Amino acid sequence: MVTIRRWWDHKGLQIGLLALVVGSAWILRQTQGELVLETYYAITRPLEMLQPGPTPEERIRDARILELQTRIVDLESEKTNLQGFLGYVEKEPLASRPIPARVIGRSADHWWQQVTLNRGANVGIQEGFIVKADGGLVGLVQSVTPNTSRVLLISDLKSQVGVSISRTAAKGVLRGDSSAEAVLEFYEKVPNVKIGDLVSTSTYSQKFPSGLAVGRIKSLDLKKLPASVAKIDLFPPIRSLDWVAVYPKPENQESVNEVPQKSK
Amino acid sequence: MKIPAFGGTRQKKPKSPRRKAKFQIQPLSRWHPRIRQLLGWMVTLGSVLLCLLLLPTRLPGMELLGIGPNWLLIWVVAWSVKRPVFSGALAGIVLGLLQDSMTSPNPTHALSLGIVGILTGLLQKQRFIEEDFISIAVIVFGMAVLAETIFGLQLTLIGNERKVTDIWTYYQRVALASAILSSLWAPVLYYPLNRWWQKMKLLEQ
Repeated sequence: MVTIRRWWDHKGLQIGLLALVVGSAWILRQTQGELVLETYYAITRPLEMLQPGPTPEERIRDARILELQTRIVDLESEKTNLQGFLGYVEKEPLASRPIPARVIGRSADHWWQQVTLNRGANVGIQEGFIVKADGGLVGLVQSVTPNTSRVLLISDLKSQVGVSISRTAAKGVLRGDSSAEAVLEFYEKVPNVKIGDLVSTSTYSQKFPSGLAVGRIKSLDLKKLPASVAKIDLFPPIRSLDWVAVYPKPENQESVNEVPQKSK
Repeated sequence: MKIPAFGGTRQKKPKSPRRKAKFQIQPLSRWHPRIRQLLGWMVTLGSVLLCLLLLPTRLPGMELLGIGPNWLLIWVVAWSVKRPVFSGALAGIVLGLLQDSMTSPNPTHALSLGIVGILTGLLQKQRFIEEDFISIAVIVFGMAVLAETIFGLQLTLIGNERKVTDIWTYYQRVALASAILSSLWAPVLYYPLNRWWQKMKLLEQ
């Protein structure tokens, strides 16, 4: 008994500290690093003032972009009119107020492609929200703390987005490969596509609303099995993201298509 | 104007009432041992926190192909290089759990960092390798490649919607960039920490 008592006196403090350290590391892991991220946010907040970057308004001033915007508005109103004639009910579009946010950090390890934003639960961001940047879709919100949120980019190895080719409605799945390009696997062996076609999210996608621009086909490989594969140049600057906009989750997840798909 | 002389003698200047003697912090050897131990722990924890906060940054000079140095790996190597194997393993596992908290719980980083801690502890650097600028950089280089390989294997074994070819294509880029950057920045973290821990150890005895 005396020896046990002596050993405990000797080592008790060390064991206690060790248990404390391992326990707190486990807790931190379970809460997905809330404390650390909040500290990081607090530290980088003054540094953000030093790099304001172009505000969203300045970037929009390019004349060509304004012209394209007008065209888009025209097409959208035409589409709504036509849909009204056909009695077509669409999923809720991505028109609701976006939350602007800035990227304050990238992924904390080498394999996951994530970014950390400087807005969190306090402004209403929740898991599953869509993140867009100049150029198109960027990712999905993975976890949220009061002042920061972590976004899984579409260039991550695990991310899968249901996409379709804008011109011909050929559909497929877009997978990231941890670079500024992504790989699109079509559903058909010989899809009706060519190089330079634009890619956007499809109505089959469960997590993303349809019609979000993603990228453009860079190269095609029609000989791959079981289905053809294409390399996509992603429009948003995945490597150097700065300002992004966070949109709420799409409401109706099932694609309520009253009009049957005539062409594939 | 008096020119201060070289050597140990102090100049006797008449002190004006404003300039009182500055408050001198007593040298560490005169501190209460418990407080000194506490300070030691706080510095250790502070360095871990600093590494964690550095992880999401990509400051110019600390980035290669979008990849930054693996600060937690450098810390584990710095800790385990002169400590027993068990201690190194534990440090690796704890820091791995912390890195999980900043990315994603599975696959876990505790496995790769734990193995790095074990192997570094086995190296028994103080017995076999002299204190050299190059040695720590080389150790970190090797351990970085090993850590990324272990994580790549974990990802492959989990499966889970990731294509195996993509994993190993990306692995070539990541292993090289991470190893180069981590070994270049390792001395920056290693030397201050090492000196501090050696000082603490001397004072304990």
